[in-house]
Amino acid sequence: MTILRNSAALLGAMALMATAASAEIKVGFIGSLSSDTGLSTLRGAEMAIDELNAKGGVLGQQIVLVKADTGEDVTEGVKAYEFLAETEEVDFIISGSIDDVSLGWLPRMQEFQIPTLDTWTSYVGIIDMIVDDYDSMRPYFMNIASDEALATLYIDFGKDVLKEKMGWDSVVILAEDTAFGGAITGLVTEALAPNAGIDVTEIISFDITTNDFAPIFAKAEASGADFIYLVSSVNSQVVSSQYVKLQVPMGMTGVNVAALGHEFWEDTGGAGGGISTLSPVPSLGFALDPVNAEFLAQYQARYDTRPSIPHFNGYNAYHGLKQAMAAAEEAGGFELDAWVPAMEKQDDIFKKDGEMWLRWGWWGNDEIEPRTGRAYPHNIRFDITEPYDEGAPSMVVIQWYEDGTNAVVYPDKFKTGEFVLPSWVKK
Amino acid sequence: MGLRWYHFAMWAGFIALMYAMPELVSKGTLRTFIFANFLAVFAISWDVLSGRTGYISFGHPFLIGIGAYTTAILTKRFDVAIEISIPIAVVVTMIASTLFILPALRIRGSYFALVTLAFMELIYQLVQVIRPDLTGGTRGMSGIQTLTRGAVNGYYMSLSLMLAVAISMWLLMRTRVGTALSAIGMSEDSVLGSGLSTTRLKLFAFLTGAFVAGLGGAFYVHYLGSIAPRALFDINFVFTIIVAALIGGSSTIIGPMVGAFFLTYLLEYLRPYLPGAERYFIYGGIALLLYMYQPKGIYHIVMQAWERFKPGKSA
Amino acid sequence: MTQIIIQGLLLSGLYALIAMGFTLIFSIGRVLNLAYGAYLLIGGYVYFYFAQMMGMPKLVGVLLAVIVGAAMGLAKYRMIVKPLKGDHVAIEISTLILAIVLQSGVILAFGDSSKILLPIIPGVERLAGATIPYSNLLAAIVSWAILISLYFFVNKTHTGRAMQAVSMDAKGAAISGIDSDRINMITWGISGALGALAGVFFASYTQLTPSMWVAPLIISVAIVIVGGIGSIIGTLIVAHIIGFMEIIVTAMIAPELRGVFTMVLIIGVLVIRPQGLFGREEL
Repeated sequence: MTILRNSAALLGAMALMATAASAEIKVGFIGSLSSDTGLSTLRGAEMAIDELNAKGGVLGQQIVLVKADTGEDVTEGVKAYEFLAETEEVDFIISGSIDDVSLGWLPRMQEFQIPTLDTWTSYVGIIDMIVDDYDSMRPYFMNIASDEALATLYIDFGKDVLKEKMGWDSVVILAEDTAFGGAITGLVTEALAPNAGIDVTEIISFDITTNDFAPIFAKAEASGADFIYLVSSVNSQVVSSQYVKLQVPMGMTGVNVAALGHEFWEDTGGAGGGISTLSPVPSLGFALDPVNAEFLAQYQARYDTRPSIPHFNGYNAYHGLKQAMAAAEEAGGFELDAWVPAMEKQDDIFKKDGEMWLRWGWWGNDEIEPRTGRAYPHNIRFDITEPYDEGAPSMVVIQWYEDGTNAVVYPDKFKTGEFVLPSWVKK
Repeated sequence: MGLRWYHFAMWAGFIALMYAMPELVSKGTLRTFIFANFLAVFAISWDVLSGRTGYISFGHPFLIGIGAYTTAILTKRFDVAIEISIPIAVVVTMIASTLFILPALRIRGSYFALVTLAFMELIYQLVQVIRPDLTGGTRGMSGIQTLTRGAVNGYYMSLSLMLAVAISMWLLMRTRVGTALSAIGMSEDSVLGSGLSTTRLKLFAFLTGAFVAGLGGAFYVHYLGSIAPRALFDINFVFTIIVAALIGGSSTIIGPMVGAFFLTYLLEYLRPYLPGAERYFIYGGIALLLYMYQPKGIYHIVMQAWERFKPGKSA
Repeated sequence: MTQIIIQGLLLSGLYALIAMGFTLIFSIGRVLNLAYGAYLLIGGYVYFYFAQMMGMPKLVGVLLAVIVGAAMGLAKYRMIVKPLKGDHVAIEISTLILAIVLQSGVILAFGDSSKILLPIIPGVERLAGATIPYSNLLAAIVSWAILISLYFFVNKTHTGRAMQAVSMDAKGAAISGIDSDRINMITWGISGALGALAGVFFASYTQLTPSMWVAPLIISVAIVIVGGIGSIIGTLIVAHIIGFMEIIVTAMIAPELRGVFTMVLIIGVLVIRPQGLFGREEL
């Protein structure tokens, strides 16, 4: 009886849910609706859609946006993708998912073959999948530089600033115990010594649920290294605020995902001064070209809740969504055989004072990036060699100062401030 | 075993309805049903181990995860065929469940619940630390071979699994062993008094529960195609499994199934209206009220209503 | 060495404070309050809201957190524990659901991203290579002060002895004229207040996140299991065993194995000596 009654209720409810209208272009958003990361992508996409709709939409149709929350949970991400693909039958998916969540729904993307754009996930393993299996991966695009490119450019920072300017010869690496931590640590250890002349004295890996960093910092101090290189993508507020609260007497830089957002200062209650991190572009403190400055101004006029400045993926979503729609316009729809080549050709260059500044374009499918010696199909076209005239750099280094301001400190072309040590560290 | 013709008629009607479902509902809804089917398998498994015996496990994902990880690692890293890796996964899960036995011989009640919680935390941390080249560490694994493609096939696969589990557990619980298991839940001492070995009964319940959990976990990972420790060894997952079993009606087979469908459907039904965190707030709130109103579950509520209206009609 | 001792003492003091409220409820009602971690969650966020967002004095923030925590404890007893009349499984399950509901409530109100609390007292002291933040020192001192006063409260006052009586034998206590309902109310109130206070310190040690209730719950569970029920001294000692174990594992073995040893300890103790190291000889 229960079953019958339940089924009747289910059937009734399903009728409500089955809204099969196809006289419009449906864009699905997948990501967390309560994190700054997710909201940056969502809002970038919303702004692009409103702009396109005001100009008459795409293929003569209006674009509607459907949201599916992942709550940064892998299984919820799979369900969210299925919801967008099967219940809503969207034409295009824009994702502000974090790495684990993207990896979770990726098999669904391969199954449904829906054009999908990732704006935050930077895992190079996904690009490897495109290299290995182009046919099933071709609907996927990633318009943030993959993590290998991030790490490579970071080595230059080590050479130019840490070694030459600060005079540091040895480093102790503090790395979170994740695949991300392992990958970055591997790249840094292999490349730092030969390329930058900085010796790695010790690698300390820590568990992402670590609450108390006092013994870890003590160990780092005891290693006798000149500075700490931190790799932290999960819960990085904890390690950075404890660095400040414990006033660890040595410099620290590295990858610190929490420090990427404008609310970092507010969230840490000011315990963030001195922290520096690599950031994909456009980062905080990044001087913007006129077009992207206008995007930021409109963003701030439109949204009054956090994040008050979109993270880099907000810009990625804004430009990426417009490109996906332009490709659809060219291809006459989202049929992959036509849409994928059209998307691969999209290229938007933004210049500042006549110089190459930001670029949303793609690597050719078989093109080899000279420094890393590998291909990056469907990854944003980045440039990791001075003078950065082929594209935007894969990353910049930003630093938070003790007065709560922040600036880009590397590379020189994009610099808006200097790399400094926190006041409690004696030189 | 006390089987009656109407038992078969009800099962047959139910099975027919469930198999006809792809004709009746949209693909999106079928996906919801797939998760409900898996949740039902996990809830039944939990109910066999905990609901009947009274040994409440808060670490059920420990068992599910071992099954899921075993087959995921075998197929992905060692290219073992799925037909071989799934049985191995089930056996490994059953062996792992004997770890629960040791404490269960000595402690009861809340202490047992806590030790199972500790097991789950332990494996959560171990999976990330030990041999991340095999387990994929914190990021887990993606691109695991899937058994089916498409909503309809996935639905039939999960439904068949769920029905096979439900019917075999239903039959098993109608045997004397099943009765004895429920008796442990009521009073372990009286079972001892009647000359039965509670240790062997407990071992049986744990192995059976682990069998189902391992099987469910293995199929689940080959349905999802990816696995991540954070989503698997998660207190929210424990919550969903236990609440599904209890809200539906513990110590029955239909109860966990009803609970699983109720919870999954509630969660998915709210999605279009409340896409964000509000959904969990409402969902948890409803679960809490329903559970506080009748801890014995929906099955019990329906049965009470049935008893009230029964005079005048007959089944 | 000095470093390990100093860091161990600081962490253990915090752990003892975290576990105390949990032990109280577990000893008196034999109830596993799985929503215990939610006191820490709510306490931390209440403090964050008033002291950091509204800019009220820090002490007011702490007081408000403690009051809200106590109120939550009372509400939980009245609305969940009492109506379920000692059905342990039902209480465990419903408190677990409650914790999940509160977690999503916090996400609704404050969003998903983590927040860092300002140190209650800024600044650090350096001693023999170890760094002592004043806030952590304060947490350890407050923790000790509370544990000592709790010990005297339970052993020396009338109400405290009544609590002990209820914990040993609820029926016997009722016969001898103790109003166990009132005792329960007091205990749940104290437990909530302690939890919320621990939440402020825990969060200022680490961070505020909507899922921050899980880790302290696990720590409390570990301490209570290893220490055994009904023992304030046991809780204190075991908090130090676990605190020091974590520090030593982190400093000398491998930081990423930090939690593994704690779990192994729990499982080992439960199997070998289920009543805990300092618990009563009954289960």
